[in-house]
Amino acid sequence: MAELLTCRCPTDQVGSDAACQAEWGAQDTRRLARQASATLPAADGGRATEGGRPPLDLLPFAEIWAVDFEFGSEPGENPAPVCLVAWELRSGRKVRLWRDEFGSAPPYPTGPTALFVAYYASAEIGCHLGLDWLVPERVLDLYTEFRNRTNGVPTENGSGLLGALAYHGLDGIGTVEKEEMRELVLRGGPWTDAEREAILEYCESDVAALARLLPVMLPSIDLPRALLRGRYMVAAARMERSGVPIDGETLGRLRHHWSDIQDQLIADIDAKYGVFDGRTFKVDRFADWLARNNIPWPRLESGRLDLSDGTFREMARAYPVVAPLRELRAALSEMRLSALPVGRDGRNRTMLSAFRARTGRNQPSNTRFIFGPSVWLRGLIKPPPGYGIAYIDWAQQEFGIAAALSGDPLMMDAYRSGDPYLAFAKQAGAAPADATKATHKAIRDQFKSTVLAVQYGMGADALAQRIGQPPIRARELLRLHRETYRVFWRWSDAAVDRAILNGSLHTVFGWRVGVPAVSNERSLRNFPMQANGAEMLRLACCLGTEWGIEVCAPVHDAVLICAPLERLDAEVARMRQAMAEASRIVLDGFELGTDAHIVRYPDRYMDERGEVMWARVINLINGQLPEAA
Amino acid sequence: MTDNSDNTPNPFDPASLRLDQSYADTVGVKKLLTTVPVRKPNRQDFVRVHPDLAYRLTPAAIIEVKEDREVYLVTPEMAQALPGEFATVTLFTTINRQGTLHLWPVKLPNPEGRQNEWHRSAAEGAERATKKWVRVTASMSLGAYEIFEASGDLPDPVWPDFSFQEILKIAFRDRIVDRADHPLVQRLQGIV
Repeated sequence: MAELLTCRCPTDQVGSDAACQAEWGAQDTRRLARQASATLPAADGGRATEGGRPPLDLLPFAEIWAVDFEFGSEPGENPAPVCLVAWELRSGRKVRLWRDEFGSAPPYPTGPTALFVAYYASAEIGCHLGLDWLVPERVLDLYTEFRNRTNGVPTENGSGLLGALAYHGLDGIGTVEKEEMRELVLRGGPWTDAEREAILEYCESDVAALARLLPVMLPSIDLPRALLRGRYMVAAARMERSGVPIDGETLGRLRHHWSDIQDQLIADIDAKYGVFDGRTFKVDRFADWLARNNIPWPRLESGRLDLSDGTFREMARAYPVVAPLRELRAALSEMRLSALPVGRDGRNRTMLSAFRARTGRNQPSNTRFIFGPSVWLRGLIKPPPGYGIAYIDWAQQEFGIAAALSGDPLMMDAYRSGDPYLAFAKQAGAAPADATKATHKAIRDQFKSTVLAVQYGMGADALAQRIGQPPIRARELLRLHRETYRVFWRWSDAAVDRAILNGSLHTVFGWRVGVPAVSNERSLRNFPMQANGAEMLRLACCLGTEWGIEVCAPVHDAVLICAPLERLDAEVARMRQAMAEASRIVLDGFELGTDAHIVRYPDRYMDERGEVMWARVINLINGQLPEAA
Repeated sequence: MTDNSDNTPNPFDPASLRLDQSYADTVGVKKLLTTVPVRKPNRQDFVRVHPDLAYRLTPAAIIEVKEDREVYLVTPEMAQALPGEFATVTLFTTINRQGTLHLWPVKLPNPEGRQNEWHRSAAEGAERATKKWVRVTASMSLGAYEIFEASGDLPDPVWPDFSFQEILKIAFRDRIVDRADHPLVQRLQGIV
């Protein structure tokens, strides 16, 4: 039985108005009223604005619903809603629904006149989708807004609801208590009556926290663009629900044999290097191998070899002999096959962690997301029978964004040429006008590396290492970039100046990064490209999912979609249309092109960087490993 | 409180939500010009000379104090009082590929119209540099400067937004000989 509680008092009076509490009492909800009294915001909404009016009064919505679900979620499966608590913050109306009371429609309006307020809203939207409810059209996610407000500067208590409350000087339940309640929910039913009541109370405490947080945060929220971020949380929920199709059979075999595979891989690959002792990478042996092969490996300030994956990646480009070793290290250290959550329907599902990265990009767990850093593992991605998938990415997205946002005409010409790297070489006078990728490959490669070096903020020494040329050549190439794309550089310099002068930078849709006292210029310089790229991807995901395309996952500057074979080409065309439109909106009319890599059942997806490793592992499974008992 | 949906922000019209990103037009940061060397171009530098005649001073009287590596500009009035102490040059506003500005002094023919090959070749290099990127290198065997013209289609330089008077003032900030009791005049006259 749902508890539908109503109160005529406006929200900002709840808790301070005895008559209001008496009315609740008449509905036998004294406990709830006491809780509300203890937790709802003060009469001034925490912070009065515009002539003393409480912030909530300034919101142009007829109804404001603070909503929280509790749900169970098995690895790889969609969330299973357990209960819902929703408060309407103007009227004081309250809804508490247990899972057997959900019904066929949400107990609050979802149209444009109602504001849906949540903390990390994709979870709540995921429950809506699971219940086959309409999704709200106006979503204000206080998580995204808290992240936006604090992005770039440390927060003492993290970015969760408790962290946001603490940041604003508001009380919340204890972390331990919250974890205990989450464990109770995740344990799954059946629950006793007392447990059920405790779960509902816990859920309601989060809604009460939202009600306290909203008025305090509102004055700093840029509502129109906050709602755009909320729109993306709906798209994120749809993508999380879709998940990435996985070849479950092969995954099962990989998991089954993984321990043996690791030993075989070490034996196989390390034979050439001799740097492993069992499964342990021995630094001194690696140093000896580097010396024998005359490879100048970067070192840390401490003098020790820099063994980060980024350094391995860079060095593998300059010295391809290093590449297998890097793949092996990645396979051994980063891959947790058991951690890869795959649902019973063969879909890899995990929280996308939208807006988690500094640039506003999604930052799903490396070990739980199939598009994590072990690229060979992506060979597990395979469309189900009768379906196909497509990996669609923007062509040279960062270059295009830099060109369009800076307004550099030469850079825009280079992008439109379809081969910006060769165009750059021509514009700099290093290649004739009729040069092609075939006739001037070496020059093109150098200029491509230079473009990428500028995007990564790489210095001359690193670029020299990348292109295998002396530093003087790298300096010359970087200088040519500065001279050729002067408008871009003026804009880029101004972006850094602005960040330092104003203490922040923001994207076209207001995703901002705060600049701490000691800031990294390279990171600031790259922010407009990365963060606006993230805006573009979010918008494309919104359009794609709203158009009914099954978007399985966003991947940095790409999406993976899935469709029945007979509709695959059409869906790819529609997704590319969505991505083109997103680029035009973000870049004020400048359109970025896209490339599509289509895979039809029974083929599997493969990242070319992981092909060798994949083949090696599959060969081991097929031919060389004994079947485990 | 209104329930008019027309008044609610519409996240489905993102084009209307777009914020400006033209930092270069909005950030008031200007690169200051605080130093302008007076010297010939470095032998490795490709340079351009400002083609506008307003960006050169000719004739100009300068005194180069070699031991201090300093160049002084002598006002016309003082030049008359210091016969034989100064050189008559054209000061060209010059920029290299890194965007560094300097003044390039090129000696003019003497009053009899004679000019050695060093000065003549330097003047030719400066004139060519008004249209092309050039590098000038002293060649002892030739007894003149060799002039190399960049063959690539290099972009024109971006000249800083300063008047020649400002550039001159910065270049000779405290090294203008404009009075009889100037320390350099006294030094030249043995009055220290």
